Amino acid sequence: MDRKTILMDYIKNEIMRNRNARLAEDEDLLGTGILDSLAILQMVAFIDEQFGIEVPDQDVVYENFNSVQALTEYLKQYPG
Amino acid sequence: MSDVIIIGGGPAGSAMGAFLSKAGISNLILEKAIHPRPHVGESMVTSSTRVFKELDFLPVLEREGFVHKYGASWHAPNGKEFAIEFGEFPQPGVDQDYTYHVDRSRLDLLLLKHAESLGSKVMQGVTVKQVLFDGDWAKGVRIAVDGVEVDLPCKVVVDASGRNTLLGNQLKVKVKDPIFNQYAVHAWFEGVERGKEEHTADFIHIYFLPIERGWVWQIPINDTITSVGVVADKNVLKDYRQDIEAYFNMGIQSNPDLETAMCNAVRINDYKAEGDYSYTMSSFVGNAYVCIGDAARFVDPIFSSGVSVALYSAKYASEQIRLAFETGDFSEAALKPYEEKLRSGVNVWYEFIRLYYKLLPLFTHFIQSKAHRIEVLRLLQGEVYNRGEVPVLDAMRKYIESVENADKHLLKDKLTSIPID
Repeated sequence: MDRKTILMDYIKNEIMRNRNARLAEDEDLLGTGILDSLAILQMVAFIDEQFGIEVPDQDVVYENFNSVQALTEYLKQYPG
Repeated sequence: MSDVIIIGGGPAGSAMGAFLSKAGISNLILEKAIHPRPHVGESMVTSSTRVFKELDFLPVLEREGFVHKYGASWHAPNGKEFAIEFGEFPQPGVDQDYTYHVDRSRLDLLLLKHAESLGSKVMQGVTVKQVLFDGDWAKGVRIAVDGVEVDLPCKVVVDASGRNTLLGNQLKVKVKDPIFNQYAVHAWFEGVERGKEEHTADFIHIYFLPIERGWVWQIPINDTITSVGVVADKNVLKDYRQDIEAYFNMGIQSNPDLETAMCNAVRINDYKAEGDYSYTMSSFVGNAYVCIGDAARFVDPIFSSGVSVALYSAKYASEQIRLAFETGDFSEAALKPYEEKLRSGVNVWYEFIRLYYKLLPLFTHFIQSKAHRIEVLRLLQGEVYNRGEVPVLDAMRKYIESVENADKHLLKDKLTSIPID
């Protein structure tokens, strides 16, 4: 699975707790409140665990986390 | 004459009496009230079990049918709930995976009677007016019985006067905490909906409130009665013009899970208020005296630490007093190791509390993360004594500092104003 799909699945299953939830890859995760503060921390931990990428704290910002698309783009700098 | 006079017959004083009696040191417990009397602080941590066991008190707790507490559950303002269970982290010397929720009027009476059964003398309805000194050496206490004042001499005075902090006030060594000045309003209710899931129903439930330093406890006292208390910064009370019922209701309405839990609840006793929040005595010991339990230090009760601090302070101070009777040295220096032991333990609680309030989602995250969960449980279950470093607190602090230092970190607006340096 590519990173985008893995992230989508994680958000649906673990954060929205509904595997059939509708989630677009450009959906505004922060504005809609899908990602609350705890979920942001969970996402960072998941990215570390799943991809072995430690997101530096200065990168935990709106631009990188506002959608699955943005997050996938951001993670591209780390080779898979 | 008793060798030791203990001021106060709460858990700290009674445990002290019990320990000294077991060690063959004569002691007299002076209690202002006549037990049973109500008291706040109805939930405990599992490390207390070790002390209860040492004092042969566990059979009493079981016989009396106190509610078993198997875990704790937190409710975020957005309706998310997460729980911990003590069974996940077994503690050395603790053979049961639960502690107790207690009606303190019963617990405190039973502990006092237990101390008496081990040999402590107990006088109730006796007010201690002051500790008597010869220079800076404690020599006894002055009591008042039916308006008559009597001086009682002893070799060591133990201040277990609780939040009255008798010696702290007399010696002017009480220091208010610069950060925490909360105010609690609490009462007992029937008909509280204790939880969505049956197996967590008798846990303690903590509800986060969307106001700084605000939270609510829900503690089962027996099958039908539940204790509920609202805690928030004292300034919030001003907004309610000191109306404690309005303050209480504000708390209940600030968390949707809590509102649901309380929708059919009926209050069965008066609201009670606890102000004068966190404090410490600048010194817990002096020549021939020690302060234990709340008379030494009080921290925010978010983690149910109070009774545990009372019991461990009694344990450690009684060990020091026993040693003093062996050597004949009752000086401040001889008693100081007790203070160092207790202070370092309670400082771990305090640091944990401070970091918890500094960035609430971080605690929630740590407790759910594989890397930190067990170490957070270790703290939540009261393992704060005789520890050098506490790496999980360092990790929390480091995380908080990195959020503070990152310019646009998404959690930056979740940082509270609490100073952590």
